[in-house]
Amino acid sequence: MKTVKRDVFTRVKKIPTAHFSMWVIGAICFIALLSYFNVPFTPYSFDETSELVLAGPSVQHLMGTDELGRDVLTRVIYGSRLSISIGIVTAIVGFVIGTVYGAVAGYLGGKADSILMRIVDVAYSLPDLLVMILIGVLIGRGTMGILLALALTSWRGTARLVRAQFIQLKNEEFVEAARAQGQNHVLIVLKHMLPNSLGPVIVAMTFTVPAAILSESTLSFIGLGLSPPACSWGTLASDGWRALRTHPHLIFFPSMFIFMTVLSFNYLGDGLRDAIDPRTRI
Amino acid sequence: MLSFIVKRILYAIPVLWIVASLTFLLVRVVPGGPFDSDRNLPKEIIANLEAKYNLNKPLHEQYFLYLGRLAKGDLGVSYKYANRTVNDIIGDAFPVSLQLGCLGLMIAICIGVPLGALAGVNRGTLIDYLAMFMSTAGISLPSFVIGAGLIFFAGISLKILPVALWETPAHMILPAVTLAFGPAAYLARLTRGSVLEILEKDWVRTARSKGLSKFSTVVKHVLRNALVPVVTVLGPITATLITGSFVVEYIYAIPGMGRFFITAVSNRDYDLIMATTLIFSILLLITNTIVDITYKFLDPRMEVDG
Repeated sequence: MKTVKRDVFTRVKKIPTAHFSMWVIGAICFIALLSYFNVPFTPYSFDETSELVLAGPSVQHLMGTDELGRDVLTRVIYGSRLSISIGIVTAIVGFVIGTVYGAVAGYLGGKADSILMRIVDVAYSLPDLLVMILIGVLIGRGTMGILLALALTSWRGTARLVRAQFIQLKNEEFVEAARAQGQNHVLIVLKHMLPNSLGPVIVAMTFTVPAAILSESTLSFIGLGLSPPACSWGTLASDGWRALRTHPHLIFFPSMFIFMTVLSFNYLGDGLRDAIDPRTRI
Repeated sequence: MLSFIVKRILYAIPVLWIVASLTFLLVRVVPGGPFDSDRNLPKEIIANLEAKYNLNKPLHEQYFLYLGRLAKGDLGVSYKYANRTVNDIIGDAFPVSLQLGCLGLMIAICIGVPLGALAGVNRGTLIDYLAMFMSTAGISLPSFVIGAGLIFFAGISLKILPVALWETPAHMILPAVTLAFGPAAYLARLTRGSVLEILEKDWVRTARSKGLSKFSTVVKHVLRNALVPVVTVLGPITATLITGSFVVEYIYAIPGMGRFFITAVSNRDYDLIMATTLIFSILLLITNTIVDITYKFLDPRMEVDG
């Protein structure tokens, strides 16, 4: 397993876009973490008396200032904490729920499988954003509410994927051998089937992160996600939208960060997919 | 074929019922009601209003009343847009969204498919890389960023196109282009993959070796076959278009379904939330059924279970 991992890593590094994306993601995460120690300005204190209210980019304020004189760069860095953690946490929660769900359905098969999959079908009969909005409204519009709303929509694809893998793996000889030895079901699933189905799931997970970041920012943008004082790229863009006509820098910089991060994760996902399963390389 | 369609319709009814019930429960469990908004109404008036709309009855009674009305095709009344029935609002909003969605889809197909085909045919060249960068960038940009960019350049800086409302064809250009971006990128990726797959088929080599030019091989033989999987993504694309319409209708102030859904959620306008949700899921169910039928039609070997 270790060599496989290293192998995938080397192959990803050979794809220039994916390799570069890893560095971009690393840099953004680093900046987000660094913000716990030091940022150029404080994100919440403001200075309404100075001429620095709604100033454009300058040497002192690289991304300008907002309507309360707050430094936009600092706010974007603070926003990256929330936006990136929402993306990653959503991917992990969706991965766990989806894998357990899909594994149970695929391993049991038969009636249980068709009932479980019908539930997924029903969950799929609504557009994601609509489900997120409804769940978000139910739980409340704080970070927790958005996180849950995103997680509760992100598991369905993983569930289908894992189930399909398990149905295929169930008839493989090594699984039959394990079963013939009388190993218990949980062990067979954990030791033999799960490791062999992880590849595509990890790829799917990589694509969940940018999707979640996009969904969060979209929800916040239309006013049904996070709202101030919470500070994410989505809420920043939403603030900037109101001043689009007069101060476009307010929406430009958060949007640029959303774009860069999402683009990098998408390229990384593409790279991982090619590296994990070279047959699908197209 | 007929039995397949009938089966799908029979399957759709319980799905819609579940969606309706879940949404019903969801919107009513949510804290806050339709009448506790900014205006501070006296308690008595709220009580009267609630009595008028049967909101003071126990939940299960409200539920059966609602289902009864729904079965008759009555979607209820809006609490926010006084004196308008939900049927009225949907009747006005649905055609607008449909128009927007169809325009968006057309633009997406016109851009996405040729772009993907061009990339596939010129695999590994600069054209391929550029086209794929555009497509990856397209799925990485939130539609509000595309919308804001378009509004800023075409609407504010150049002042060549109107940036809000839904009146003349000129009003439709920016929203439709914004909406088309995501699906176009998606279609380009898909078309490229599918073209690459077809290019390796024996009969393409045969066509080339009998002296057909590259161009006519691609147009006559490759594209026709490569478009098969593209047709079948109508389902996911419809979902993307619906999701996109929320944002696009919001930023361009278009009186369509997406905008009404968003305001209905903020206002706790129960019946309007229910109606829009149901219509969106009906749309998805219909397109998914069409997709399954196309599968069957295009490749009879395909087993599609109802």
